[in-house]
Amino acid sequence: MNSRLRLVLFVVVGLVQLAVAGGAIVESELALRTGEAFRFRIQPVDPVDAFRGRYVAIRFAVDRAPAPDDLDVKPGKQVYLRLENDGEGYAVLGQASAEKPMSGPYLRLRAGGIYPDEDGTRFVWVSMPFRRYYMDEDRAPAAERAVWGGRRGQREASVSVRVRNGVGVIEELYIDDVPIHQWLTDNANIR
Amino acid sequence: MGRLSIRWLLGELPTLEAEGVIDADAAERLRTHYTEKTSGSGRRLVVAIFAVFGALLIGGGVILLLAHNWEAFGRGTRAAIALLPLLASQGLVGWVLIKKSDSTAWREGSATLMALTLAAAIALVDQTYHTGGDLESFLWRWSLLLAPLPWLLNSTAVAMLFLAALTWWAGAAKVEGSQILMMWPLAAAVIPHLIQVMGSDRRGLRAANLQWAIALFLCVAAGLGLENRVPGLWIVVYVGLFALMITLGVVNRRGEDGLWRRPLEVVGVAGSIIMWLILSFDEPWRHIGWKHIHTTERFHEVTSWLDVMLAVGLPLAAIAAMAFLLDRGRHRLYLLWGLSVPLVAVVWPLTAETDSRWIGAVSFTVLLLVVGIATIAEGVRQQNLGTVNLGMLVVALLVVVRFFDSGFGFIFKGFAFILVGFGFLVANIVLSRSLRAGEEEVK
Repeated sequence: MNSRLRLVLFVVVGLVQLAVAGGAIVESELALRTGEAFRFRIQPVDPVDAFRGRYVAIRFAVDRAPAPDDLDVKPGKQVYLRLENDGEGYAVLGQASAEKPMSGPYLRLRAGGIYPDEDGTRFVWVSMPFRRYYMDEDRAPAAERAVWGGRRGQREASVSVRVRNGVGVIEELYIDDVPIHQWLTDNANIR
Repeated sequence: MGRLSIRWLLGELPTLEAEGVIDADAAERLRTHYTEKTSGSGRRLVVAIFAVFGALLIGGGVILLLAHNWEAFGRGTRAAIALLPLLASQGLVGWVLIKKSDSTAWREGSATLMALTLAAAIALVDQTYHTGGDLESFLWRWSLLLAPLPWLLNSTAVAMLFLAALTWWAGAAKVEGSQILMMWPLAAAVIPHLIQVMGSDRRGLRAANLQWAIALFLCVAAGLGLENRVPGLWIVVYVGLFALMITLGVVNRRGEDGLWRRPLEVVGVAGSIIMWLILSFDEPWRHIGWKHIHTTERFHEVTSWLDVMLAVGLPLAAIAAMAFLLDRGRHRLYLLWGLSVPLVAVVWPLTAETDSRWIGAVSFTVLLLVVGIATIAEGVRQQNLGTVNLGMLVVALLVVVRFFDSGFGFIFKGFAFILVGFGFLVANIVLSRSLRAGEEEVK
């Protein structure tokens, strides 16, 4: 292959690399700046990722949504979930649909299976895309202990998520309505 | 031409000169030509290896620094930091492509650095915005972006990184229960690079390294890729795969190649021994075949058919390769190792039909014993200590495995051991007599 063609291909490949990394930045920034805010209740745990460092793993208290009888999505395929508020200021997952909702905020997620519960109501299980809250390696274990305390019923943990065009990006992790960094500073002694 | 071949040629020159095949001038010209070639190549190799390791360490260091998570910087700063190392390494690779494309060290080193800064960029963006999901999703995006690089930058180090990342992804995805059918077409991205390397220096170190990576990838991928809807197909797939590897490795090698330059053969032989030892137990043969097809769970249709294609295709390919490529005289030892393929082709359907587990276990125990002894005998005949030791290893492993096998009673095992022991003593006597007879004939 001649070197000019190789160079052109390299430039294309290089731009694709930048577009993938840069595109994720743009998409996230747009969601954070212009998206609608929701608060989700969470149940977290903490591990480490060799490439991306320490994080607080997040398990959402809700990970299934009511599915209408005619909904038929294969596991791994995309499903759209409306977002609603439960009255206490926390988000709940509304009706699932295979097509993009005409109005109102929604999340675009991958579907798990569809199963009926004990009462026969159909639910679609989803894997929430924001499952990690990355933190400074020194503070993540402390944050983890703080959030685990909440799991035993003493503290309430939640995340705020900005949602735009089906894309949700985590904004902040809260313990008892206090942002995690603030909480860690305030409670430096009781950890 | 590889260094070993050159050394061989230089060693032949005095004989060729003495026998009048070439004159003294020609011999001298050949000597200077090839001595110049080899004197620099060792140094170039070391420089290339250092360049790759340097790039690996720097790139790894960048990833670790970013993984610390510098929350003090704002989102914008961190987004910029994510792209900067990538941009810098892209610039370096571009400069190498224009100015230094003939230098293996520059090419491999800069490409490795770019592969790692690419990982760092994706990782830091994920970290900054808490997006990107699990390790599985990260490895998938990295593998996709790495795919064109081995061929485009002519870099074997990146090809090895790519296969490692892809294997890691497949393993992580399989654990999560995701579909990994895409592994195969994506892995095919190394084929253009393989052709590239084999075309330029098929005996070189890069060709050997790449074949190691591919052979090890195939070992893991063959297992991960199976859907296992028909239980036990892995037996046929692996026996076929290892026999095919041995055959292709043997055909492509020349006598003087060291072990590192015979990756297919080494992986094929080691894999065969391990696989046969596993198959000499009766547990793997439990509930295999069409009578036990899974119907209740959810299985992927295409992957299930790929299972069947691999289980039929690999043994057939191995047999075809042995029939067309191996020489019945020169390669008879390897043909013996290939016996596993027709054996499994008979034993597997028989076990599936009758559900008798002992058929497979006994067949592969006998196979190990026969191949082990035949390898020892062949090694003695060729006066090759390595081959003798390989045969002894096979027999020794078989003995150890059977000694601890709880499937048989102590009395049965005891008699079997004594019987085989006598067999060895008799074989020893016969062998030493024939060797002595051979020596006397020579005298």
